[in-house]
Amino acid sequence: MAGLLTGLANATVNASTVLILAGLGELISERAGVLNLGVEGMMLVGALSGFVVTFLTGSYWLGMGVAITAGGVMALLHAFLCISLNSDQAVSGIMLTLLGTGLTTYFGNDWSGKSIEGFPEVTIPVIGEFLVEIPVLGSALFQSTATDYAALLLVPIVWFFLYRTNIGLELIAVGEDPETADTMGVNVFRMRYLAVILGGMFAGAAGAHLSLAFNGIWSATMTAGRGWIAVALVIFARWEPARMLLGAYLFGLFNAFQLYSQGLNLTLSAGTPLAGFLNPILEFVMNPTIMSTYPYLVTLLVLVITVVRAENRELAQPSALVQSYSREAD
Amino acid sequence: MKLNVDLTPRTEVPRWMRYGAPVFTILAALLVSSFALIALGVNPGEAYYVMFVQTLTTEFGLTNTIAKAVPLIFAGLAVYLPLKAQLWNIGAEGQLFLGAIAGTWIGLSVSLPMYALLPLMFLGGGLAGAAWVAIPALLRAKLGINEIITTLLFVFVAAQVKNYLVRGPLQSPTANFPQSSQLPAAAQLPDIPVLGYPAGILLAIVLVAVTYLVINYTRLGYEITFIGANDKAAEHAGMSKFKIYLLVLLSGGAMAGFAGVSELAGVQGRLRASFAPGYGFTAIPIALLGRNGAVQVMLAALFFAVIFVGGSSIQTLLGVPSAIVDIMQALIILFLITSEFFKQYSVAITLQEGADAGAPAKPEGEV
Repeated sequence: MAGLLTGLANATVNASTVLILAGLGELISERAGVLNLGVEGMMLVGALSGFVVTFLTGSYWLGMGVAITAGGVMALLHAFLCISLNSDQAVSGIMLTLLGTGLTTYFGNDWSGKSIEGFPEVTIPVIGEFLVEIPVLGSALFQSTATDYAALLLVPIVWFFLYRTNIGLELIAVGEDPETADTMGVNVFRMRYLAVILGGMFAGAAGAHLSLAFNGIWSATMTAGRGWIAVALVIFARWEPARMLLGAYLFGLFNAFQLYSQGLNLTLSAGTPLAGFLNPILEFVMNPTIMSTYPYLVTLLVLVITVVRAENRELAQPSALVQSYSREAD
Repeated sequence: MKLNVDLTPRTEVPRWMRYGAPVFTILAALLVSSFALIALGVNPGEAYYVMFVQTLTTEFGLTNTIAKAVPLIFAGLAVYLPLKAQLWNIGAEGQLFLGAIAGTWIGLSVSLPMYALLPLMFLGGGLAGAAWVAIPALLRAKLGINEIITTLLFVFVAAQVKNYLVRGPLQSPTANFPQSSQLPAAAQLPDIPVLGYPAGILLAIVLVAVTYLVINYTRLGYEITFIGANDKAAEHAGMSKFKIYLLVLLSGGAMAGFAGVSELAGVQGRLRASFAPGYGFTAIPIALLGRNGAVQVMLAALFFAVIFVGGSSIQTLLGVPSAIVDIMQALIILFLITSEFFKQYSVAITLQEGADAGAPAKPEGEV
């Protein structure tokens, strides 16, 4: 049982890093009022560009840098379309996902099947050896790649940036009430550009984590919908970085359950009362495919609760989300 | 001077621009895509020749184009209808899955002659598609929850429901693969007698005509367009936003359900785990290209059908990855939303000069 739990914990933490990175990026962008449905495409571009650079130069840090830049460049296009041209954010985002998927599948053909020396698993110096020995969670949390640690560290950093710095507070203001922010002297356009590009850089890093640390290979559409989960995760987290971490682990746990569901026999034994009635239901509910819908259903539920209880400011989404802003608007 | 964009300046856009923008968009997308072709050492002229001329001049190409166009037309309408009321049905792909699931289930479990079974499958598929969008539609109409996110979330749920069914209740008892049994002949769309083209296109044309008439010549269509143009004014005029939002989204869902059934019964013949044609997402550029009317939606769907069929031809003949089709789709959306801006930008200039800016215009019967 302990081995199973350790396995579950490892799989959960491993699966959550990419969600934390992509989700934080999406959160920053949405906090400024710009929905980014292009995460999946940006992640793929990050994954491929990072992989190619690492393969050619042998430096995974350089690969990561290029991936972050590539994500930022794609986000720049999104920013230009949504902020400067007032295009529909959903349409522009879907376009970027199509573009990222198309470009990486088209040009990535020759790169699949190649292998690289990616981010190694390391322990924290001095205390690391000791921490890894902690049962169940030890190896999951303290024997990881640099990107895993970075993702965890970025949660408080993003929180601090958003709530304790002037730029962060201006960014939130722009997502809540752009007109007022503008009147107060905040440059709405520049702030939104900043948030969207920053978000794209996170998405690029998330993709590179997949190809450079998590998998160590490139394959077409390797993000497998994780970009969309990141979009859902932001809603689940109700636009808060700390809850995002919780949500990423929860979504990661659902993911891990799918890998280990054979090991978990949660049906009632034949003699138990109601077993005949409950077991088919339990089997359906615990079916790995059915389980993979739970993150989306929970997200939907959170969204509904958020809106129904909208009078509670803490729960609400950025008021100006999906709304373009133009100064001359009446 | 810049004009506010959330008005509907479409009626004031010069005619050449209205019809020229889609053409410019497609040409620009093809031009940029040719760099991707050159990068892989393919002659763009040759590739486009195979993609367009061969597809449109051979019997094989034409038949396949029409077969692909049928679900694309339905999917296009699934996004077009809600878009008329300024709602985005981003989740047509999920509703399409549900249509295909319902179609498979009916086709495999009901034994009736073709003329009764096929309509029943379309009915069931349409209802399933509409049911799949019902929750997002209600949330939008009742609580104002953004339909973009909710319809999208349901796509991923639908995909897993399909995956579950083809590995469980709907799996063929004789197959080890995650797929259903082959549909009986009575559940497969026939060809048009004499002409030999897939018969689904007739149904698609009928629905395009119905949509055109409803949108342009009925009170209901007027209300939909009015709410899309200015929902507050429409409510002051006594129109029910709740009713119209539900109606356009549910009928959009039904159209997507039809798309699923027609892909299933006209092309694939059975439900597979890999069933994910992506038409629900292609429907977005289709609806954008065809924003001016249902007939334009049909033309845009035919164009994308040519690209899809031509895309697999250049993969077979020239070794170009068919992902070029995704790149083209993205570029078409990119140039389309860019041209949209320039259309609106020039409106501001014409508005300042002409006194007749507000004059009712245009053969499309736009409001």
